Amino acid sequence: MLKKLKRSKIKIITVLSSLFLAAFILVLIICVVTHTTLPALITSILSEEIQFAIKLSLTTAVVSTVMCIGISIPAAYALARYDFFGKSVVNTILDAPLALPPLVAGVGLLILFGTTSFGRGLADAGLTFVFTPLGIIIAQFFVNVPFMFRILRGTFQSINPRYEHVAETLGCTEAQAFWRVTLPMSKNGLLAGSIITWSKGIGEFGAALMVAGATRMKTETLPISLYLNMSCGELNLAIAAATILIIISLISLFVFERYGGFTRVF
Amino acid sequence: MIRIEHLSKDLGEFFLQDVTLDIKNGEYFMVLGPTGAGKTILLETIAGIYRVDSGRIFLDEQDITDIPPRERNIGMVYQDYTLFPFLTVEENIGFGLKSRKVSKREIKRRVDELANLMGVFHLLHRCPGTLSGGEQQRIAIARALIMEPKVLLLDEPLSALDTQTTERLRQELKNVHSITNTTIIHVTHSFEEAFLLGSRMAVMDKGEIVQVGTPNEVFRKPESEFAAEFLGVGNLFQGESRVDNDIACIDVDGINIVSATLKPGTVHVSIRPEDILVSTKQIVSSARNSFKGKIASIVDAGTILRIAVDVGIDNPFIVAITRQSFDEMNLKTGGEVYITFKASAVHVF
Repeated sequence: MLKKLKRSKIKIITVLSSLFLAAFILVLIICVVTHTTLPALITSILSEEIQFAIKLSLTTAVVSTVMCIGISIPAAYALARYDFFGKSVVNTILDAPLALPPLVAGVGLLILFGTTSFGRGLADAGLTFVFTPLGIIIAQFFVNVPFMFRILRGTFQSINPRYEHVAETLGCTEAQAFWRVTLPMSKNGLLAGSIITWSKGIGEFGAALMVAGATRMKTETLPISLYLNMSCGELNLAIAAATILIIISLISLFVFERYGGFTRVF
Repeated sequence: MIRIEHLSKDLGEFFLQDVTLDIKNGEYFMVLGPTGAGKTILLETIAGIYRVDSGRIFLDEQDITDIPPRERNIGMVYQDYTLFPFLTVEENIGFGLKSRKVSKREIKRRVDELANLMGVFHLLHRCPGTLSGGEQQRIAIARALIMEPKVLLLDEPLSALDTQTTERLRQELKNVHSITNTTIIHVTHSFEEAFLLGSRMAVMDKGEIVQVGTPNEVFRKPESEFAAEFLGVGNLFQGESRVDNDIACIDVDGINIVSATLKPGTVHVSIRPEDILVSTKQIVSSARNSFKGKIASIVDAGTILRIAVDVGIDNPFIVAITRQSFDEMNLKTGGEVYITFKASAVHVF
């Protein structure tokens, strides 16, 4: 009897903790979206500035995600399948941006593209990264590529190489075996990685701020817009940007949970 | 014909050491060995998945050691089926012909043909994940056979299946072999399987081939202690089994062996040498089999001795006893003894 009471006490405490946490998160979100009236919110969302920010955020995030996919597929495959000299060092370095504060990453990118002859060479060739939307893309890419890489590495590791072996005995070259068998089997991991990378790209602030700056109507993504409008008291516009960021995160979370691979990566 | 000469390959955990084998066209060749003997890597090296460290492989006199898997025309079936989960059964079977750029109509025709041969026609539109192990393995075999391979490699294809399915698939493999006349190399750790399917077999241990011969030769005359130990044989007979009152009575060259396995008809019988009791006087016990015989030979194998007891049938019974018992019983060649074993120790297949 006493034991039962004790157990139910633990139950009450733990359940209350979880309810408290859920309420805290919910209140926070509601505070943001109800701060202004609905008509004011709609007007702000339809304003030229927020429309620009939405478009810039969406495009930069899509481009940086595609870049992450492009480099992560071969890199993750190599680290999942092959043994080579320096593999563990490469593995560690590739995970490093995860631990690096985005602001620090941004400073690094700024120095690389702004002050070195490599950066100047690129600028001369027409690829200017400093204080341009290109800078936003490279910042998102740098900060988010470890997520894509890690998910894909896990995905490829979970696929038995025997599938490729069988495909090769069935007339495939190594490349065809990868394209016709491994890649389709990685579908869920790819999808999950893309969603995470993309939604984190949409929210990227620190590194992008350092490299691309916060120029209204030029490098103004949704988070930058939130920051700019907040700092100059344009509360309605700031709330509009925040609301859209919330909606995008919630949708991404939903899609990720629904199709998010981890339970069904073959 | 496939000829393997002095093949070596080291993958760390698994390795092959100086493997030499000759396998004739149309042969059903079994490779028997315990887990970790290097059986799978032998097949994978023949298929071309791994480059050899040294040695050569010839297929019909052509040196295929350095050509990629897709140009070898050797099929491979794994224990865990490895069907492509994102393709239907039909697309799985047709996968190889698609690589060869065969026309859609021809692929359809061949897929139907193979699906019929393997009895999976009704499953063509299903996805592999929803099928039973036996069904998946049939599909995997069809997928390999559609390429009309010169050699079909089977890597423990029946190990993951239940007993009933295993028995059915064994029969089907036999049929497939006689219909297609494909050379088959089949790897297993089951001595039954090797005996029932193989026209010849090799015993493998620690990356090496220990013995090659017909199953009968290998089982009767294991050339190494490992082979004898691993096969656990010596006592292998053929007889007619009659099932009566929940007990099977098997007539082997005139003596009746009682077994708890109820399988009627012509059967193989095996009894592990260590399951047989030897005594100088007839003993009364619950064991259902007891025969009188003469010691034909005694082989000293260290701590264990193998005694051959002639009970008046073609092959003597082999009994394994410890040195201690041997010394105490004062057994001699030519001496009269009784052998006794339980009906449940009689393995029938």
